[in-house]
Amino acid sequence: MFFRLLMESFRRQRRRKMLAGVAILLGTTAVTAMLALATTIGDRIHKELAVYGANIVVYPKADLLDVKVGGVDVKPASGGAYLKESDLAKLKGIFWANNITGVSPELPVQLAIAKQGDNRLFPVKAVGYWFDHDFGTLKTGADALHPWWKLQGDWPIPQAPEKGPSDEDEVVIGSKLANQLGLSIGDRFHSHLTPVTSLRVTGIATTGDEKDNEILLALRDAQRIEFGVSPRSTDASPNARDNSDAISRVEISARTKPEDAFARVDPDSLSPQQREIWYCRPYANSIAYQIREAIPGAQAEQVRRVEQSEGNVLKRISGLMWLISAAALLAAGFAVSAAMATAILERRGEIGLMRSLGASKGAIAFLFYSETGLLAVFAGSLGYLAGSGLAAWLGARIFRGDGGAAGAVLIPVLLPVVVALALVVAIAGSTPSIRTALRMEPSAILREDA
Amino acid sequence: MAMLSLIGMLRRSLVHRRARSVSALVAMTVSAGVATALLTLYADLDAKLHKEFRSFGANIVIMGPANASLPPDALARVQQAAGADSLAAEFAYAVATTDTGTPVVVAGTDFAAVRRLDSWWQVDAWPDPANANAALLGQRAANFVGNEHAVALTYAEHAVTLQGVGRIKTGGDEDSRIYMPLAAFTAWTGVGPSVIELQVSGGTKRVEAAIAQLQKKLPDAQVQPVRQLVEGESKIVDRTHALMYGAVLLIALTVAVSVLATLSASVLERRRDFALMKALGGSQGQLMGMFLLEALVLALAGVVAGFVVGSAAAWAISEGNFHTATLPHLSVLPMVLLLNLAIAAMAALLPVRVLRGLQPAALLKGE
Repeated sequence: MFFRLLMESFRRQRRRKMLAGVAILLGTTAVTAMLALATTIGDRIHKELAVYGANIVVYPKADLLDVKVGGVDVKPASGGAYLKESDLAKLKGIFWANNITGVSPELPVQLAIAKQGDNRLFPVKAVGYWFDHDFGTLKTGADALHPWWKLQGDWPIPQAPEKGPSDEDEVVIGSKLANQLGLSIGDRFHSHLTPVTSLRVTGIATTGDEKDNEILLALRDAQRIEFGVSPRSTDASPNARDNSDAISRVEISARTKPEDAFARVDPDSLSPQQREIWYCRPYANSIAYQIREAIPGAQAEQVRRVEQSEGNVLKRISGLMWLISAAALLAAGFAVSAAMATAILERRGEIGLMRSLGASKGAIAFLFYSETGLLAVFAGSLGYLAGSGLAAWLGARIFRGDGGAAGAVLIPVLLPVVVALALVVAIAGSTPSIRTALRMEPSAILREDA
Repeated sequence: MAMLSLIGMLRRSLVHRRARSVSALVAMTVSAGVATALLTLYADLDAKLHKEFRSFGANIVIMGPANASLPPDALARVQQAAGADSLAAEFAYAVATTDTGTPVVVAGTDFAAVRRLDSWWQVDAWPDPANANAALLGQRAANFVGNEHAVALTYAEHAVTLQGVGRIKTGGDEDSRIYMPLAAFTAWTGVGPSVIELQVSGGTKRVEAAIAQLQKKLPDAQVQPVRQLVEGESKIVDRTHALMYGAVLLIALTVAVSVLATLSASVLERRRDFALMKALGGSQGQLMGMFLLEALVLALAGVVAGFVVGSAAAWAISEGNFHTATLPHLSVLPMVLLLNLAIAAMAALLPVRVLRGLQPAALLKGE
């Protein structure tokens, strides 16, 4: 009997069920979409903030001071300390390895080149980088960490190690230098410093800073030019081989948690348990600490200009999204409970009839709550699907062209949360109406409706 | 007379079914409140976000020609060209030698300006502005100095001893430098400021306009945007803006449809009133006018209450999130009013189709 009442109620009162159902559907759609966006906004904004470049730098601990004024480095060339390129693989083994989204090692070298039609040599700074380098599952390098560099042409491809010194190295030159030298893509020129190297321009880069006056080349070529030996050749002197995979600085971009008071403490002053907690949180400081542990002789620091400000912006935007989600929740909750109240209020006649036919108050309340519950679960699940779709669509539209961000936003955890919320709100909304209707004399209700 | 009776009926209808009127009023208040809060936040969003981006520091760098000094009144001219809400700091650089024989970059600057501009610098103690010989040591530079509290430096045979008051930690070039007050720096080295770092708040357009202005004022200097900052800021502000826009539309739609459903159900419930009035000789138009008027009065009341509630909510949200207050925006009022009136009118007019087909006699008899 109970089930028949329940089924018939859904079959016969379609309009009334539609009203409440649509309210719940829309409410859960809005809430799901907002929550789905709010939970993924951190990653998305982090991707956007990647345009600011690395947030952690690694340099050799024993290195001399940088003596850089206005982009001109006057650091004495000798006595510099280096890190090893091969040690970078250890980054994949640190606790927060999965949070590292970009790695860009660099090695500056000095070249001496002559202008066309003029034999005077002048020194030019060149820097060796990774370009589109395979690093575990990542494709990373200088181009990924400096998205504001504008390139015409192609990034250089490193020469195979077995090639002789007479082969050309591919380079990209800064736009100002290219102007000055009158070089364009495809041109060839020579560096006359030993070893004499022939270079071919594959691209021209505009960077907006001092790199516009420099030459960018593949890291492996830079190492060979600087240390005069190709990395895998066997006849090199031990000293040269030591340095053959040298790098002077590494920029790392990592997903981090914005810094709080706990992030700033010195881990060595903490108790073992506290230290463990500190170590296992993705603060820039703890990632830097783990990098220092992993790479011998390295000093890793957070780039405060990027890290601090990014944390700030990230916190504000995701805070805003959460607050708006809360507003959506509130508005949807109110709308759903108002619609439920109206739907029940309309059916006072039924309640009066059932009571006069001898149904107990408990049985009637149970029937109505079952209807409400069924409706909430059904419309809530539909709303969850619609909301997830909407969030995916909105996310893909707003953050288009970022690659990967367009993936579906089906967050399973949200389903029970959203359905439970719909259930609670619908039942809370219908309770006052059911109680009022049950309190009234059945005869009074029936007479009023007649 | 007709007017009077209309108002009388309206008043009676609202007062008599108090519970229903209150719930309709609450629904209208919520829809107006949500719309006000979101639109107010939306109107302020760009300004608020740009303010957050100020923590990234300078977005324009002005350099003297070929690293030579800038004219002495450059800072004043820059400030004048960039507007009052911009921040600027000037820097002078020289390479000196420490007492351990290491070359180090020494920079002269105005500590007060740098402190405001470069909020990411981690400095354990900012020097007292009255102390003309105070110095801040970059954390790497500090390792190459014999005595951190009495820093002995030599530049072109001129020696100077600075009082180191603290260390700077930034993770950038600053870590390898020593900073000192500009006046003492110029007196010691004879080198004037060659770089001005300037922060102009706003998007790409403001920055480009400021650069054009500056180039006019300082024709010899190189004026360059810090490209990643300017581009990144515009991109993120645009995206957040779009996200917020989507959220506003979504929430407004949800609330509107739910309120519409609730209100039109309550109109439908009054079929008996409708039938009675029709039996007493009211025309279809008169009756619809009556319902419409009632709904519009409720909508208007809802806008008044909702504007207050919504402005308060917007204030609370921005105080909680951005730590700056958002004042009520009267400019969102027309929009909110329009939205609420549209919902009310639709709520009153949608049931017309159902009502038109009803026979008064049948309805009154209870069929």
